[in-house]
Amino acid sequence: MSLTEQSILLLAPNPAAAENGRKLSKKGSFSAHRKTADQTLYWAECAGSGKNPYRVSADFTEPEAPVCRCSCPSRQFPCKHALGLLFEILGQKPFETADIPQDIADKRARQAARAAKKESAASTPAKPKKPNAAARKKKLDKQLAGLDMAEKMVSELLTAGVGTLSGSSAQSYDKLAKDLGSSYLTGLQTAFSRIALTVRTVQKNPAQAQAAYSEALRVLIALHSTIKKARVFLQQKLEEGSCSAEDTVLFEALGGVWKLEDLQAIGAFRENAKLVQLSFDVTYDEAKKEFCERGWWLDTATGQIDQTLNLRPAKALKYVKGDDSRFDLLEVPVLCTYPGEGNRRIRWDSASTRPVTPEEQAALPTLAQPDLAAAVKLVKGQIKNTLLPKYMAVLVPIGQIGTIGETFVLEDPKGGRVVLRDRREDGADHASTARLAMLPAAIPAGSALFGLMFYDEADKTICLHPYSVVTPEQVIRLLY
Amino acid sequence: MSSLQPLYDVKERLEAAAVAGTGLLSEDFRLQRAAEAMKPLAAASPVFGKISAGLDRLLSAPGPDRAGLLLDTLALVDAVAYTQGRSGMEGEITPLPTGGGTYIQISHGQIQPLLTALTTTGGGRMEVIQSAWEDHPEFFRDFRVMPAVVAGLGDGYGEIADLNAKILKGVGPAALPLLKQDFDPAGNRAMARRAEVIAAIEGEAASPWLREVLPEARKDVRVAVILALGDAPDNTALLLDLIKTERSGSREAALQALARQDGDAVREFWTAELKKNSGSVRFLRDTDTEWAAALLATGLREQLEGMLAKGGPVSEEEQLELSHWCQAIGKKASAPMLELWRWADSHMEAFDVLTNEKGNSIFAGVRLTDSLRDSLRTSGPGPLRDFCLELWDRRPGMTRYLHISFLAALLARPAAEVYKKFAPCVLTKKPLLDADRKRTLNNVLLRALGDVWWNQEQGRYVVYGGQPTAEPLDRRWIERLTQAVYTDVPGRGVPPFSYYWENVNKFDLDLMKLVDPSEAETRRLLIPYLRKRIQETGLAYTYSRWLFQLGGSPRGVLGDAMVKNPKANRLSVLWELMEKAAQALPPEEVIGLLEEALASKGIYKGAQETAERAIPYTIELLKAGKPYPEWNVWWGMGK
Repeated sequence: MSLTEQSILLLAPNPAAAENGRKLSKKGSFSAHRKTADQTLYWAECAGSGKNPYRVSADFTEPEAPVCRCSCPSRQFPCKHALGLLFEILGQKPFETADIPQDIADKRARQAARAAKKESAASTPAKPKKPNAAARKKKLDKQLAGLDMAEKMVSELLTAGVGTLSGSSAQSYDKLAKDLGSSYLTGLQTAFSRIALTVRTVQKNPAQAQAAYSEALRVLIALHSTIKKARVFLQQKLEEGSCSAEDTVLFEALGGVWKLEDLQAIGAFRENAKLVQLSFDVTYDEAKKEFCERGWWLDTATGQIDQTLNLRPAKALKYVKGDDSRFDLLEVPVLCTYPGEGNRRIRWDSASTRPVTPEEQAALPTLAQPDLAAAVKLVKGQIKNTLLPKYMAVLVPIGQIGTIGETFVLEDPKGGRVVLRDRREDGADHASTARLAMLPAAIPAGSALFGLMFYDEADKTICLHPYSVVTPEQVIRLLY
Repeated sequence: MSSLQPLYDVKERLEAAAVAGTGLLSEDFRLQRAAEAMKPLAAASPVFGKISAGLDRLLSAPGPDRAGLLLDTLALVDAVAYTQGRSGMEGEITPLPTGGGTYIQISHGQIQPLLTALTTTGGGRMEVIQSAWEDHPEFFRDFRVMPAVVAGLGDGYGEIADLNAKILKGVGPAALPLLKQDFDPAGNRAMARRAEVIAAIEGEAASPWLREVLPEARKDVRVAVILALGDAPDNTALLLDLIKTERSGSREAALQALARQDGDAVREFWTAELKKNSGSVRFLRDTDTEWAAALLATGLREQLEGMLAKGGPVSEEEQLELSHWCQAIGKKASAPMLELWRWADSHMEAFDVLTNEKGNSIFAGVRLTDSLRDSLRTSGPGPLRDFCLELWDRRPGMTRYLHISFLAALLARPAAEVYKKFAPCVLTKKPLLDADRKRTLNNVLLRALGDVWWNQEQGRYVVYGGQPTAEPLDRRWIERLTQAVYTDVPGRGVPPFSYYWENVNKFDLDLMKLVDPSEAETRRLLIPYLRKRIQETGLAYTYSRWLFQLGGSPRGVLGDAMVKNPKANRLSVLWELMEKAAQALPPEEVIGLLEEALASKGIYKGAQETAERAIPYTIELLKAGKPYPEWNVWWGMGK
């Protein structure tokens, strides 16, 4: 990894730490700059609030994952002093060549020994795990019982009417959600948490009742569909005596957690992928009480658009490292893909970054759908599936963008049109359509527009929520 | 009507049925009618046939099955509705405008907090915007950020709106298109700020635009536009007209704008205006022109001469007028002003005896001396500073001149010379002879030293008003001040830390402002002084924090100080103090401080039990080479 401002920001535990590090570098807090002759280790002293300066080092033995060390008592890792040192390196401050300090040499040796041990352990074939048939059956039974419980609740709610939610107790749905969680049905747990949220919304603000009921109804439709499909799926598993991960979205909806090796085992991966991020955003899911940091990635070989999801529970926010926008190209040796359709979730174990070349950038808009009609067809195919999101990320070619009255409209080169509009569910912080009218310059020919295509119930129209303008020269992010 | 209307009707009725409850389905005639209306469509397409069949099953199903069937049918109807969704729009497309800034690659982590601070409400936003402006001014040129800053000119929190105005002025001409876009001359304060920013960016070149919007401008916007007209020299005639036609705030704005103009017509106007309404002199405060200085010097002297000639008590109105004239002095330091000060000096004793109608002093002499001091602080080198330098030498009996001459010396003379001349005024022994005068001089000098401080950012000493001292303060001042015997400087300073219950005296606050923490000699002198002050005052926290800043420790005096005010020694305050100690001192020193605090028995009664658990635990951590624990660890031990 060549050290860039972006790579430092990504190493930082949070943006504030990176900024504090930058300030230390800016105000000249570092002294005694040293580096080894092979430039794999940089170290310096940083003035702190105490009388003795902190000793800070950055070890680039593995350039993709530099190891930062500091004598300060901070629990943040890397601390602001280490990040400041990285800014010193980036700023090409003069570092004198010196011998590696003994304490760091010792640490390096211990680290190498640990890595060798790990490698030898990895090369020894692991003993196959002996499946516990009784425990497996018990879990499947519990999941099936949970499905019955959820179905009964859905039926009761529909019989009484969704309108009775205003007089219901949100706690009863919370409790059911908790019970479903205990039955290893986390997908269903979330659905009932959403219904509990609807109850609270309606009780707090009766004026929003209609919209809340409509949303609850969509949750119930998906829930009903999941219950039906999951029952068949689980009964089949029970009969087969199988518990392995399957290439189906139901596995995760029922509480399964994918490991990279499981995804590789079912063949859900592709090799040597090159990815460019088109957009990044963060949303908060009140029902799950977690932040979802989402990156939208374009595969430069296939034009496939996938997404990374970094889920950070609100309770454990400071223990889960945050993700951020990335502007470089990512080279991923093994890219794992989650089951599903459309924009699938992707993950990887290791990847390297480098700047996008002008040729690669120029090719990005050519990876767009052939026209709007093709994109609309694709999206309609996905959103009619009750288990899939009611939107899809697409890259579509731009003929022209403008307004008809107050409405923003995209016309593709073939004359097909789509209304550009913010998706209400994304919230005010995702408002981006109006920013099209503030673009620094006219959109050059051969550009494409990236965004979420969705069905707007209000006027029964397929619309596009624009996220980025992909030109042959750059990706202009309307969001982040 | 759309050919799909029956489908949408069914969808609507099914949703209504779900809200009302499937228990009422058999009585839902509108759903039945909608189902009937679907039949022709069902014949036309298999998918509509499926919906129709689903509706039939639903309407004839027994109660317990209805919920599932309703959801199945609705899912199918939804899916068909999605596939039938229209896309596109008829009509002529108008191209979009461009030029809302530039695009900068800023990550979510950097831009999102800034956009949130600019577009939401609540506390903590000012700091985010301010830091972003200081550290990344380029962010504000981004096309996502700049519109938010422009919109932020109407922020409900005035300080943020003002900061946004300052930022846009810094962004410069790139912000102009957005500022002028949708400008409403009849708008509110936000539009007034826009006008102010446009004028600040364009300067004289804004004049045609200002003249264009003036006829429609109302209230705050009108005031801002008229004020801005003062920047262009060719607006004199217009401003003179406006002064005749405008009322209240707008007229005052025209006066203020005209004060920035120059020329015969302007001078003639102000000469006449001050004769008619001397209160208008306040508008000349920020004007440094020769004619303004001459008018002010003449007018103020006439005021003062009138008071002296009258001989009797000075009325309230006359005092108010004198205040206006003194405030209007500003930075004026040219020859007529110097002449005025010389004249005022020669009559100072007479001003000191002027009284009001009750026979009390009106402190006219003090007011004039303070005005001279303010003028000195803001004006640069020149005859006024030279005059101030020698003022106390010529009139040693006028003790308040010491303040002015000392500041002038700091601004103009070598540090050693200043020390040699003025340090004896700070008494290090109680005087036997002429004690009152010496004590007065001591107090005046200490107050004058309060006007000086070490500016860490600039790396130099500055005098109140922003001017740097000629040389860094002589190091001997710190030693002398630590030996001072009379330290009762009147007034209260702002406590540097948030220990609001600790009433630290002004002398120590002023002394610590003079400290350059990088000076080893200063640290050597101040560490024992601060430890002594802990013993004398019993104020454990502020002095300890100062000690930490200098690399010192309150070990040995902390426990006794804590005992003097146990109520202050809450667990959180103690934890914070020790955390700061852990950042500044080696672990063994922190362990010693923790042991001393615990042994003192001076911890607040309600926190003693928790402290007895938390402090030994922390000591063990530090002995094991681990970091100082977070607050929730201490707090958790109280449960």
